[in-house]
Amino acid sequence: MTMSFSYDPYDDRTQLKRYIDRYPLSFTRTPLAPLVPRPLTLSEITGPAGTDLFTVGPMDLSRSAPDAPKATGQLIQISGRVTDEAGSPISGAVIEIWQANSAGKYIHEMDRHNAPIDPNFTGEGRLVTDADGQYQFFSIKPGAYPVLESGWWWRPPHVHFSILARSWMDRFVTQIFFPGEPLNETDLLLNAVPDRDVRERLIFQFDGTSMGEVNALGFRRDFVLRGRRQTPEID
Amino acid sequence: MVVSPYCTIGPYFPASFVEGHEDLTHYRGGTARGQHIVLSGRILQEGGVPTRNTILEIWQADAAGIFRHSSDPRCREADPGFAGWGRARTDAEGWYRIRTVVPGSYGDRCPHANLMILAIGLTRRLVTTVFFPNSPDADPDTVRDPVLDCVKDATARKRLFAKRESAGEYRFDLILRGEGETPFFLD
Repeated sequence: MTMSFSYDPYDDRTQLKRYIDRYPLSFTRTPLAPLVPRPLTLSEITGPAGTDLFTVGPMDLSRSAPDAPKATGQLIQISGRVTDEAGSPISGAVIEIWQANSAGKYIHEMDRHNAPIDPNFTGEGRLVTDADGQYQFFSIKPGAYPVLESGWWWRPPHVHFSILARSWMDRFVTQIFFPGEPLNETDLLLNAVPDRDVRERLIFQFDGTSMGEVNALGFRRDFVLRGRRQTPEID
Repeated sequence: MVVSPYCTIGPYFPASFVEGHEDLTHYRGGTARGQHIVLSGRILQEGGVPTRNTILEIWQADAAGIFRHSSDPRCREADPGFAGWGRARTDAEGWYRIRTVVPGSYGDRCPHANLMILAIGLTRRLVTTVFFPNSPDADPDTVRDPVLDCVKDATARKRLFAKRESAGEYRFDLILRGEGETPFFLD
């Protein structure tokens, strides 16, 4: 018996606009021709499922090793659950995250912002969701940073997510923002959404505080990936 | 449940997430069966301007046309030395370079690889499929494939074929917008 999944094209109402005013790159690299509808075959409904392509870890971005010094900034716990459109948990999904340090600086050759690198902050993490689709990272709250070539745009604090789940079709990449940040009101990406519900799905929910072994602010974001289980076929 | 919104990958995807994934021909200590090739090309935006720092991902069958994935009934026969999935980043001139094998055909699908593009400026990924000609003088017009055949325009259809430059080298450029634009599929 082969388990297979069906995938509908993304509904534009659930997604960001493709063209964003004052964001020139959205106008110079978005295809002009209409996207071509195609059938989904075995090639598209399979994909790099499972973890054996990747080195997993670290799940704690706030230090380079368990006994290493902590990075500067507010310790946070980022957690949530990955499900499909039917609400079924997706276990074994690979989640990659990356973010700026508390001063708004990335560890990347393209980052020209003159904020300091934090030698204790790794800036990237990777894990695999558990049997219930749950994930949990520890990190430092990222700082805001300027998009230098824009002359005005400051990105609000955010964490990048990349998820490889069951197939080529549910491959997913996004950015998640923090609640209550003043820069959220002017961010071109966060505001490139058709309605308030979509915007909310790009923002962490505050998930309380923890005290004791780990002293952190909690932030939660669940993800719903495209796809639903089809009636199993008997081979 | 409503699917989560995509957002651009931005300019700062970590280098360590790419390193080692440009080569699909070596996996878990094994070496892939079949013809090893370099698939390379440029990713260009409007006006033929190179896109630097674009992330390209690839997913394809092994040389025998098998996917290492539980949905493929032949999954257990998949080549243990072939990764099937890879990732690369374009350089300042827009070049990417991936080491892989010529994928096998299966069922009604001709040899092909799935490609996706993630880049600053793209709020969602772009997906397309590259086809591999059976021989250097193969006529793309005579190839039948259920995905390729969705591209009705004959000129656009030809753009989905990699160009065989030598036995071990295939070239495939992706033009995101404008003259010579690559067909992308509804996602």
